[in-house]
Amino acid sequence: MTGMVTEIERFALNDGPGIRTTVFLKGCDMNCAWCHNPETIRAGRDLHDYAQNCIGCYKCVSVCPSKAHKRIDGAHRFFPNLCIQCGKCAKVCYAGAMVMSGEPMTVEQIMAQVAQDKPYYTDSKGGVTLSGGEVLCQTPFAMELADACHAQGISVGLETNLNTPFEKARPLLEKADLIMCDLKLWDSVAHRRWTGVDNAVILQNIRELDSLNIPYIVRTPLIPGATDSDANITAIATFLKPCQNLMYYELLNFNPLGRPKYASLMRPYPFAEAKPLPRARMLELLAVAQSEGIPARMDN
Amino acid sequence: MAQIIMVNQYPAEQRFTYGDRIRELRKRKLLQTEEKIEKEGGLDEDDYGRVVAPDDFHFEPESNHADGSYYGYEGWSRNYAKLLSIHPLYCDPMDAFVGRGFFFMTRRKASLWNPDHPYTALKSAFDEYNIICGIGSDGHFTPDLRMGFAMGWGGILEKLKKYRDINTSPENQLFYRCEITVVEAIIAFLTRMGYEIAELAKVERNADLQKNLQEMAAVNLRMATEKPETLRECIQWMCWFSFFSRLYNRGPSGGQLDELLRPFYEHDIAAGILDDETAKFYIACLFLNDTRYYQLAGPNDQGQDMASHVSYLILEAADWINIACNLTVRVHDRMNEDFFRTAVSYLFKNKNGWPRFSGDNSLVNGFMRCGFDQTLARKRLAAGCSWMSIPGMEYTLNDLVKINVAKVFEVAFTEMMATEAQPSTQTLWERFEKHLSRAVDTTAEGIRFHLTWQDQNEPELICNLLSQGPVETGLDVTKSARYFNMCMDGAGIATVADSFAACEQRIEREGKISWQALERQMNLNWNDIDGEYQRQMMLHSERYGGGDTLGDRWAVRVNDLFTGLVRGECQRYPGLNFIPGWFSWANTLDFGSHVRATPNGRRNGEAINHGANPTSGFRKDGAVTAMANSIASVQPFYGNCAPVQLELDPGIAGNEEGVDKMVSMIRTILETGNTLLNINIIDKHKILEAHKDPSKYPDLVVRVTGFTAYFAMLSPEFRQLVVDRVLAVNGEDVVA
Repeated sequence: MTGMVTEIERFALNDGPGIRTTVFLKGCDMNCAWCHNPETIRAGRDLHDYAQNCIGCYKCVSVCPSKAHKRIDGAHRFFPNLCIQCGKCAKVCYAGAMVMSGEPMTVEQIMAQVAQDKPYYTDSKGGVTLSGGEVLCQTPFAMELADACHAQGISVGLETNLNTPFEKARPLLEKADLIMCDLKLWDSVAHRRWTGVDNAVILQNIRELDSLNIPYIVRTPLIPGATDSDANITAIATFLKPCQNLMYYELLNFNPLGRPKYASLMRPYPFAEAKPLPRARMLELLAVAQSEGIPARMDN
Repeated sequence: MAQIIMVNQYPAEQRFTYGDRIRELRKRKLLQTEEKIEKEGGLDEDDYGRVVAPDDFHFEPESNHADGSYYGYEGWSRNYAKLLSIHPLYCDPMDAFVGRGFFFMTRRKASLWNPDHPYTALKSAFDEYNIICGIGSDGHFTPDLRMGFAMGWGGILEKLKKYRDINTSPENQLFYRCEITVVEAIIAFLTRMGYEIAELAKVERNADLQKNLQEMAAVNLRMATEKPETLRECIQWMCWFSFFSRLYNRGPSGGQLDELLRPFYEHDIAAGILDDETAKFYIACLFLNDTRYYQLAGPNDQGQDMASHVSYLILEAADWINIACNLTVRVHDRMNEDFFRTAVSYLFKNKNGWPRFSGDNSLVNGFMRCGFDQTLARKRLAAGCSWMSIPGMEYTLNDLVKINVAKVFEVAFTEMMATEAQPSTQTLWERFEKHLSRAVDTTAEGIRFHLTWQDQNEPELICNLLSQGPVETGLDVTKSARYFNMCMDGAGIATVADSFAACEQRIEREGKISWQALERQMNLNWNDIDGEYQRQMMLHSERYGGGDTLGDRWAVRVNDLFTGLVRGECQRYPGLNFIPGWFSWANTLDFGSHVRATPNGRRNGEAINHGANPTSGFRKDGAVTAMANSIASVQPFYGNCAPVQLELDPGIAGNEEGVDKMVSMIRTILETGNTLLNINIIDKHKILEAHKDPSKYPDLVVRVTGFTAYFAMLSPEFRQLVVDRVLAVNGEDVVA
């Protein structure tokens, strides 16, 4: 069995406790307008055009079967509407201008990388985080990967949107040592507007999490103009009050690093001009969350 | 006589707390750094605590050789005594101590090697392989300051006279005559300094500063001959020893600072003449005076941790003065966890590259493989940019002997292409082996040559006095040290490993380019048709640092070969213990300038890799763990270092949890086999701004290699090296 993986990020410090390796799986059943990993949304491979890396070798022109690459007036031009996403140009582009994201990998191939940092996981009480995209979109593969981690004594964390019916999600969730899930918006209309889906299943799943007896963290990314209102945070914090195994509720500041990825995918990015929230505003929202009497923290 | 004094700069009635004084001293330090940049240009090395010499100070050495220079015991002792007799006083009434210097005699000398002992036969190999041979180099070992504390300068003089009467050969007598000349000059100098400070105290109008000058004068007059008894006297003795050794030849390193100071601290506290605030102020002033390398904590002979209250005071003092500083915390199994965590917190708080961290297990177990016992191995302290030393017992040439293995690779590659009809990585390796063996042999021969003749070139007249052996035998430390643990570092391991890997991958496994086409591109610096394309292809091969890649496997092979060759020299030269390491210091650019384009996609003259670090772009995520694992795999493991140089974003440890992760990271990096960890905490955007305009951040301190320096003082090329390293692990904003 293989899984579609976009990246294996070692020395990950923000995807759970301790020092971790995060495995990003490709494919997501939501379509958040602010997603800072847009290459993980589609399940299939994506071609990126990092034009600023082009060295003008035109190897892509000579290998492209659909003539999506052309040399015009001494410069390389890429026509994405002609592209059939075969990846032949990326194979010959060593300069990193044309890059294919998404690689089918076996569990063994992933573990060969993951296992290299075992001493760090042990000392720091870290481990591996399965993320994405959405890990529940590749449940069988993720379960096999989680088993392989446990077989080597490596703790497994899941980052998930919990947008899968609980009984279907349960087999994978039960394998986690830690669950990190997002609750972006309380209001269901706003949730559908910004993510493409309703939040009913997510809310229900968060309620069910206590039955697993697995520690979990609920997080809200603070997106300017979308999720960063006092009302949203208050509503979510209130919702979380009855949770027994909630480690903490975490506010994550807007991450602008996705901007160049949208450009490379030639997709519009509604948050191209957005900036991370100032620290003072983060502290205000943190206070809002904490005022509901739940353990809350914010990222740096 | 020329002087730099700062009396009567404040109103008589102004009062000064220690905090006020530290603030003033810091401000003055920054101004002095700016003056150094303006008048002397930048400098790609330590700060040393130097100041610019007064304009009216001139020193003309006396020659004792036909070539116009001076050499040997007579030449050095006579000139040193002459220089001391006219050396200006630098006295800042804000400071607790005096002892700032201006330059090193070695740097003012045109010729660094006595021409009566040429090494022409060795030079061709040194040139061919771009070897820094160490012949004529100095310092870079650790004298034992405790010997100085136990004797004082008066006691040192007595000891010299005692052994002069025992060892009566002409060579010995020359040694003693010249050493006595030096020590008598030192005593005369200190006496003059004491009286000059006393005179300054008479004219200083500010009461606080006058009192300080009076105390300073009393301390200095006593330290001219007596051994120190209080903490202030101890540190003043250290400042002066630092000055005397730096003035001579840039000098050696420091020692186990907490244990050096602890007896004096405890004495003063018990006597009721010291409090912690004053102790911290004294220690802060010690750091102001010099940027010596000191170790903190670590196991004593019984394996118990040496971290004490004084260790904490030292960290607090360094935090207070907050300038370039070279403290290393020794990490071991019975570490005081709170002290460890405190040290890490300061690293992230001040972002000045201190403290560093050394790995006791790998260092001690490695050194024991040379045949030494654990007790001795534990005495080997972190004492320099990348090196360890046993105070008072070793002579080492640490950090002074380097083989540019990238150049050796170039020689092997060129030879293979000229003679082999069917080039291959196998034949390339065989030639590399052959040439590296020759390079190592010649280097060892050079070290032996240095040991034979260095006393007739530049004897270690200052460090001899605090080493076991020289005074007792009447011979320079290069002939009389207890142990000759001779360092031989390689530089360029990543450049070589990546080159082998790129050849194996792209030529032999994938058939993407031929040997001949590669050679042609390299000869044309990648400017032939498709040159940049092929360069990018080679550049993006499996790299050392990537994690179990072809590059990693070749690096292990290169290290195994180099280590075996260096250790093999011990058989050729009984009595000499050759210890391999991987370190380039500040020679990264210069070494690179001697090497043309290499198969790893490197262009003509570009820098080789820094130390044991992989080259930039080794992994898309620049993962610290991957890099550290790779460097651990190439530790020679005989007690010297292949340091890990890390650049981390300050945001990583922005809260308690972040600091915990950093403590864990540092401990694991060292426990997985690494020996030394140099860490910069640098914001990527800040360093890019500072690189464009260094004057925007005059107090920005970075750990360049093993040493810290003000970023503004570095040359643009060296600033670029630091920037490249920061970007390598933090990534560019646009990542492919």
